[in-house]
Amino acid sequence: MKKITSLSIAIIFSIGALLFINGCAATEAVTAKSGAQIWGENCLRCHNAPDPVDYSDAQWETVGMHMKQRVNNLTEAEINKVVEFLQSAN
Amino acid sequence: MKSQLRLIMLAFLLMPAMTFVSSAQDSTQTEVNKKNLSAASGKTKMLLTGAGWFGFAYDNDAKLNFNSYGFAPVFLWKISDKLFFESEIEAPNGEFELEFAKLNYAINNYISIGAGRMLTPFGAYGEKWEPAFIERFPNNPIIPDEDFLPGGTHLNWGAIMGLDVRGRVPLGNSRLSYVVFVSNGPALDNSNGLIDYENLDDNNSNKQVGGRIGLLPFSNSCLEVGFSYEQGIAGNSEDSVYQINSEWKDYSKVGASAMAVDLNFVKSIPKIKSIIGLKGQFSTYTVDDAYYSVPDDFIANSYAPGDSTLYTFANTLQNYYAQFSFRPALLKNKCLKNIELLLRYNSLTEPKDAAWSEKDNNGAGGVVTRMDIGLCYWLNWRTGLRFAYESTTHVNGEQSNELLARFVMGF
Repeated sequence: MKKITSLSIAIIFSIGALLFINGCAATEAVTAKSGAQIWGENCLRCHNAPDPVDYSDAQWETVGMHMKQRVNNLTEAEINKVVEFLQSAN
Repeated sequence: MKSQLRLIMLAFLLMPAMTFVSSAQDSTQTEVNKKNLSAASGKTKMLLTGAGWFGFAYDNDAKLNFNSYGFAPVFLWKISDKLFFESEIEAPNGEFELEFAKLNYAINNYISIGAGRMLTPFGAYGEKWEPAFIERFPNNPIIPDEDFLPGGTHLNWGAIMGLDVRGRVPLGNSRLSYVVFVSNGPALDNSNGLIDYENLDDNNSNKQVGGRIGLLPFSNSCLEVGFSYEQGIAGNSEDSVYQINSEWKDYSKVGASAMAVDLNFVKSIPKIKSIIGLKGQFSTYTVDDAYYSVPDDFIANSYAPGDSTLYTFANTLQNYYAQFSFRPALLKNKCLKNIELLLRYNSLTEPKDAAWSEKDNNGAGGVVTRMDIGLCYWLNWRTGLRFAYESTTHVNGEQSNELLARFVMGF
């Protein structure tokens, strides 16, 4: 239990430190990333980057919503950028 | 214990509050993107995806078995920009299981709520890395399932029935993802102390609560560190009372908790024209003290006072794995760029005094370890051949070795 308490305090402190350093909003560098860049940086973390030609425009929209749940760290704007990139490249 | 649980839950509940602060800032760009995306005709968009697989194994006893086959269709429905339904049927080796069936509603850019049968939001492996077209090895890391716990399972990833709230918080160049859930909770087998976490029907009125926080400190998202915790009452509320030496005990007060730390690092390194990956998860499970039936021919270390038909043990189990991967994906050679080399170390420490844990020749419990060396050849981004040599060292020192192969096709 002491370990859990210490770990919890460490996590809360880390989050607080990140909040203080970075603020709540994403930086301009992060929000300015293109769909291709977000696709390249994030898809690799679990599976390989998907081939845009594998799905239609409508199917990529559905995949985007599924990934929003599964990845859980990309904003809707970022997911939409990736979907637009995949739709433009299929 | 209660104050610590409140502290942990307060940390999880702060996440939605922070998302409201950030939600207004992306609204303009989101509106522009929505207009572009909704140009396609129709409103309900459905996709059938998933994977099929087939494998064989060659083991110590020189047996070659075509030992695994399966099919896992995933059904995805985008009903509207906010409403989404997802479901998977998994059919491993001829059995049919509803892996998950979950409805999700996006409240805003940073919070969504879901309900139904869902992949357990504990750790990272079960939710993110286990699907056949993602797992690079022919099989899973060591997990406390029937292969290592005769007569039961202590497995706590799989699926749960419940509700979750999940989302993300942008933190400048960093990110934070969170999920908080409530579910039916674990079910204790009162006879032996094993836990079933996939509890479709709750065995008591207490619910399990838990969640995971993921931190991505770098702007390129190459590293994620996650922390998970869950807790609930596991004991059956019916026929739960028993007596030890004139003192009444109650299984319905026995709780179970689990904690996990996971790490995922994936980086493309142009200098060596390769992508390297480092993944791992450490989990520990604890069940409150209770007494269980002594099986025939088992000599316990701690019998109940005045009753040799019951015994107790420290019901704590730990398992972890660490995996390294290397793929020269940036080479021009069409064959070499699709090869991924893999190394994985697994460890499982069962409760040493439990009747169902592996024992050495002196009857003492210990650690089961396994070293996996593998190679994956990718035919496309979700289809490939997997090969692995796995060497397991059991608690009694015996080694069992196996050569595995699996062909996975994603669709």
